[in-house]
Order: sequence, then C-alpha cells, then structure tokens
Amino acid sequence: MRNVVYALLPVCAFSVWLFGVSALALIVTAAAASVLTEHLFSKLANRPSSVKDFSVVITGLLLALTLPPGFPLWMTAVGGFIAVALGKMLFGGLGFNIFNPALVGRAFLQAAFPVAITSYTPAMARDRFSEFIPTTLALPFMQPAALTEWIARVRVDAFSGATPLMQQKFDHVTTEILPLFLGKVSGSAGETSALLILLCGAYLIARNFMDWRIPAAMLLSAFLAGGAFHLASPAQYPNPFFVLFSGGLMLGALFMATDMVASPVTPLGVWIYGALMGLVTVIIRFLGGLPEGVMYAILLGNAVSPMIDNLTQPRVFGTRKKAEAKS
Amino acid sequence: MSHAAQPPKTAPVQIPASAMMIRVMGVVSLVCGLLIVITYQGTLQPIRRNQETILRESVAQLLPGVQKQIIYQVQPDGSVRILDDVQASVPKLFAGYNSSGALLGIVIETSERGYADVIKAMYVYSPEKQAIVDFKVIELKETPGLGDKITSDRDFLANFRNLEAKLDAAREKLLHAIVTVKHGTKKNPWEVDAISGATISSRAVGRMLDKSARQALPVIARNLGRIQRGE
Amino acid sequence: MHHAHGLVEPSPSESMESFLNGLWKQNPVFVQVLGMCPTLAITNSVRNALAMGLATLFVLVCSNALVALVRKLVPRQVRIATYILIIATFVTIVDYMIKAISVPVYKALGAFIALIVVNCIILGRAEAFASKNPVGKSILDGLGMGIGFFFALLCLGGVREILGAGAFLGYPLFGPNYQPWVLFLLPPGGFFTLAAWLLVFTSWQARKKRRQAPAEVQS
Repeated sequence: MRNVVYALLPVCAFSVWLFGVSALALIVTAAAASVLTEHLFSKLANRPSSVKDFSVVITGLLLALTLPPGFPLWMTAVGGFIAVALGKMLFGGLGFNIFNPALVGRAFLQAAFPVAITSYTPAMARDRFSEFIPTTLALPFMQPAALTEWIARVRVDAFSGATPLMQQKFDHVTTEILPLFLGKVSGSAGETSALLILLCGAYLIARNFMDWRIPAAMLLSAFLAGGAFHLASPAQYPNPFFVLFSGGLMLGALFMATDMVASPVTPLGVWIYGALMGLVTVIIRFLGGLPEGVMYAILLGNAVSPMIDNLTQPRVFGTRKKAEAKS
Repeated sequence: MSHAAQPPKTAPVQIPASAMMIRVMGVVSLVCGLLIVITYQGTLQPIRRNQETILRESVAQLLPGVQKQIIYQVQPDGSVRILDDVQASVPKLFAGYNSSGALLGIVIETSERGYADVIKAMYVYSPEKQAIVDFKVIELKETPGLGDKITSDRDFLANFRNLEAKLDAAREKLLHAIVTVKHGTKKNPWEVDAISGATISSRAVGRMLDKSARQALPVIARNLGRIQRGE
Repeated sequence: MHHAHGLVEPSPSESMESFLNGLWKQNPVFVQVLGMCPTLAITNSVRNALAMGLATLFVLVCSNALVALVRKLVPRQVRIATYILIIATFVTIVDYMIKAISVPVYKALGAFIALIVVNCIILGRAEAFASKNPVGKSILDGLGMGIGFFFALLCLGGVREILGAGAFLGYPLFGPNYQPWVLFLLPPGGFFTLAAWLLVFTSWQARKKRRQAPAEVQS
C-alpha cells in the first residue's frame, strides 16, 4: 500500500502550496491520529500492530484531503480516531472494513460539526506560509473563531471563500472549467486539482495497483448523468465538465471508491458499483439540499457492494445442472 | 413458564366459554374506562390553563407593554368573533392592547414545511404601519447550527422589524407578495433577506408569512373597527 | 425464569432480589436491550430522558400491579388483549398528566408517550412476571425494571446532552465558546451513545465473570 501513499504525496504538496501551513498541519494531524488509533486498537486486541501496512496512513491522508483547509486540528484528530476506530478496527481491522474508513470519519465530522466543515477559505491567501488560518488552532472542544474578517484581510482578488460547488448551488455562478481543472480554486484541502489527481491515479493504474474500471465507471456515469440534467435545463444545471472537475468527485473516484476491501470483485459488479456512485453523486448535487454528494455516494456504494457481488456472481461451469438435479 | 400450571380457579370444569372471556374483558374495560374518565376530568382544567398561559405568554413576548389580550377566531365567512376555547383548531387572531386600551398589534400563528420538519411560528402584524413588525419561531426541528439560525441570526430577525405587508386598493390581496431573496440582495421592504447557508429554512419563513398574510390581512382589514374596539 | 423457589411465600430477601434484578442484573436496556424506540429517540436531553423514564416507570408499576391483581380471573386466551388494555389505560393517564404538568415536556416527547404502549419491557413484565406473581412482588419488579430503565435513559441522555449541547439539564457547563457535537442530538448520536454504553457494560460484566471463574474452580 506504500505506493498509494507515494501517489498521494503530490496531491498533499499541492494542497500545502495552495492553502499554506494550515493544510500541512491538517494532513499531519489526521495521519498521526489515524496511525495512533490503529496502533492503540491493535494493542488492545492483543494483535501485532497493522500500522506497517501503510493503509492506515492512506486513511489519514485521505481524511485530511477531504476536509476544509482551515478545519480545526482538534476536530481533525477526532475525525482520524473515528475513521480508524469506528470505520475499521471495530469491524475487525485491516481488510475487514465495510466502508471506506476515511469517509466514515468525514461523515461523522459532517454530522457532528456541520458549521466547521462547511467553512471554506480562499486559495492562494496572503501570508499563507507564515500564518495559520485562525480556525485551525481552535482550542479542543471550543468553537473555532469567525472567519469573515480574516478572509477579507488575506483574500487575493479573484479567489473566493466559497467553493465552486457552493457558488453553483447557492449563487448560480458557474466557475470556469480551466481553473477548476488545474485546481486553483477554493475547496477541501486536496480535492481541487482534477489534473493532479488524474495524473497520480494514472500512475497507480499504470503500475497495476488500482482497478481502473471503478473510477472510469464512476466518472463516466457522473458525466452522462450531469449531461442529461444539463440538456434538460441548461439554465439550471451546469455543464457536465463542471460536474466532473468540481468538488471531490475526482479524488473520490480515484482514491476512495477504489478501496479494495469495500468494493465489489466481480468484473460486471465493478462497473455497476462505479456507475451507481456517479449517478448518486449527481443526484445529490442537483436535487438534494447539499452542494456535494460524493461522500454519501461512495458510502452508499460501499454498503451495497456485497449485494452487487452476490447478484453478479459468475456461474461456475456446470453448476446449473447440478442445482437442478438437486431440486 | 408453563401455563397449565395455573388453571383459573373460578372457572367451571368445562372449558371457559366465550361468555366468560367477554365478561372478563368487559369488566376490565369498564375499570380502565373509569380510570381514564377520572383522569380526563381531573386534568381538563390544568391542561386548558397551561395552553392558554403558553399562548398568552408568547403573545406578551411579541407585544411588549401589552395589558389586555383578546383572542378572536376567524369564521368561515371571513368575520371574527371572540373565542372561548383555546384548544379549538380554528384560525385565530391574538389582539393585544396597551393600558389605555389602544390596539398594539395582532399576533398570528403560521407554519410551513422547512428543511427537516414543519416550522411553526408567530408574527405581529401592525394594522397602523401595514407591516409585519415582529416574528418568532415557536417550534422547529431544523439542523442545529444551520437551519435553526432562523431563531437567532440577528440580521435575519432584523428583516421582521418592519416588513411591508400592504393590501391593494380592494383590500383583498397583498400589494406585493412577501418573498425570501438571496442573502445580501434585499432591495424592497417586502423582501426577506435569507441567511447564507440556511436558504431552505429562510425560504420557508418567507413562504409561511406570505401564505398567512394573504389570508389573514384581508380579514383584519374588514374587521379592524371591531378589533380596535375590542368587541 | 430466575425465581426457582417460588413455591413458598416470598421472603423479604427474595422480594428484594426481584427488585434489584431489573435495576442491574437484568437491566432492560443494557442487558436485555429492550425498549429501544424510546431509548434512542427520547434521550437527546436529560429533561426528556427524565420525563420518559418517569412516565414508563409509572406505567410499568401500575400495569404490573393491576395485571397481578386480575391474574387469576383472566382466561388464558384473552390475557394479552387484557394486558394491552390495562397498559393502554395507564399510558393514556400518563399522557393527560404530562400535558397537565408541562406543555413543553409534552411537546418534546410527542408521539413517544403514546408509544409507551408498545414498549416491550412493559408487556414483557406483565406476561413474564406479573401474571404469575402476587401484587406486592409484581410492584417491586415493576419498580426495579422501571428504575433500571430510567437509569439507562439518564445515562444516554446525560452523555448526549453534555456532548451535544454542552449542558446538563439545560445548565451550560463549559461556557459560551463550547463547540457542541450536533451529531449527538441527532438520531445517529443515539445509536453511537447506546453502543458505547453497551460496550462499557458488557466489558465490565465480562471482566467480573473472568474474575469469578477462577475463584469457583478453587472452591
């Protein structure tokens, strides 16, 4: 699993460049909390620590990359603990998680701290390498400070605090495709650059560490579903490229939906799984109350993946006759 | 655990007939019914008093300086008369008067579907200013931290210090429908400025005010004389 | 069941045992995992948990008493119908009483007061205990189970209100800057809290059993 960590490092580096020291602190905290939790639970269960597999590091990194860059560190630590404890260790540890652990952590944080997790800050802020975003350093169990004044001070023109998805949903302003694709926009720490995520994913696919069909199916179905909405009502729904490059769809499709334990194994099942997640993402974004739906789409996909496997089980040669003979 | 261990002592040797079951059930029902009736009678007055107190308290909160309250019920033909039973589910108008008997304002109940569930609220209509002058949420289940800001957000509540609700010349329709607009784009006195991030709940408030004002204001206009005199 | 020597008149110690049973060893929520609907739905604040716990306690004691009183008269075929009738009566009474005492509490509990009827703890005690035991013992059993249930609701309500609102019984504990964990006021928080308490209870009981086991071998 070490290779996935390597593939995520450029995404992390870009995030630090875009959002500054706060993003660095966020990533380190999430990874450390996840690793410590796994170590602790392994000890509690009297088992050899499974930290060396590095999959828990991936969980920590992915969790950090899906959070707003100024997310309070103490909440991040809570998220890392929940992700590994609730999403992984309680199900039996490495290789037994039903859901992608990072997303379990994020879903918990979303439900527990709905305000903090929707407080985004502008990218490319002034002094971002010398100054933390004020919310980052909120004291444990205390509310983060309000950001309005700080954003007004450090904001560079043309960079908004609201994410492209929020602008689209609440203000009906659609961001240009090119900056969206390159990633110089506001958003969760590691989700902004579609290009970089695609490159890193391509590396993993090329080295055969990842099933290319899952992201392909998910992106394709999101593109088609988004296109259908756009054709039906171009004024109301953005074009399908916006759907593809905005929000966490790229990161989710390439790095989270592909969690080996929580996705189906049959060839047909993999396509169904990916298509379902893409479709649900678009439905939540366009018809739901939330601006982003990738997280819930993937968790839903994880939940039904055993059923997909059951339904698409290839028939072993000759079994049908046997079954008939038995009955 | 076996049931055979306890044969009914009073039963005759043959299997108890359905008459026996009916008799027992009848007696038990009778006792139960009696218990319920006693409780109902005993709690009727306190319950009524409680509900009236709550209503009057919330009206008093919305109308500072109120000395006297009269609750009117709106009848199907559009006229009003003084209500005697607060529990009756009819459209009501709560008129509040100051110490010298002048009408301060009329409190009206309204409700609308929000993000999570129905939001119930009360607002004050001032016939003098032809405007909504206060608004208070009575019951809501909106997301804590987001939708429930409609009860606390200062900028949002400032909308209802003087929200225009004028009737047209025929006194049958609102001159302008009350609408919720996107945060920061309020231009007209009849628009409600939404809370950013709680758009759905904010819109529900706009809708509930519009819906209720549309029905209640013409009734008030027609009966204003009576209400002002307090009869 | 656990009253093997019930042939003789109940001794005081035995009555005490039927009381303590529900309180701890057979706690309806933490051990029997019964009555989950109110346990999960109504424990988002201590006040609600208190009200629901008291209401259930009242219904449980009264219905146990009345069921025990008529246990020898009721034919077997209609016993469940009779129990339901008795339970529903007391639930209706409690419903009126709460409305008369406090409208805010009544509104917070909502439909869950009426749903006490289908709380399986109550029917369970009527069928398993009160229909076979004298009135006094049945009342004690109802008290034990009811207080056990009440205690469990308080455990859940306490954790949920402290984390979810930073308060206990409405009094803020941590000052105005406390970050509430909204999740714990929402339904999933109920499940998480219940799971955590079950974890604590079962691990505690498992440890106790392990400690007892070697002692028994020695003797």
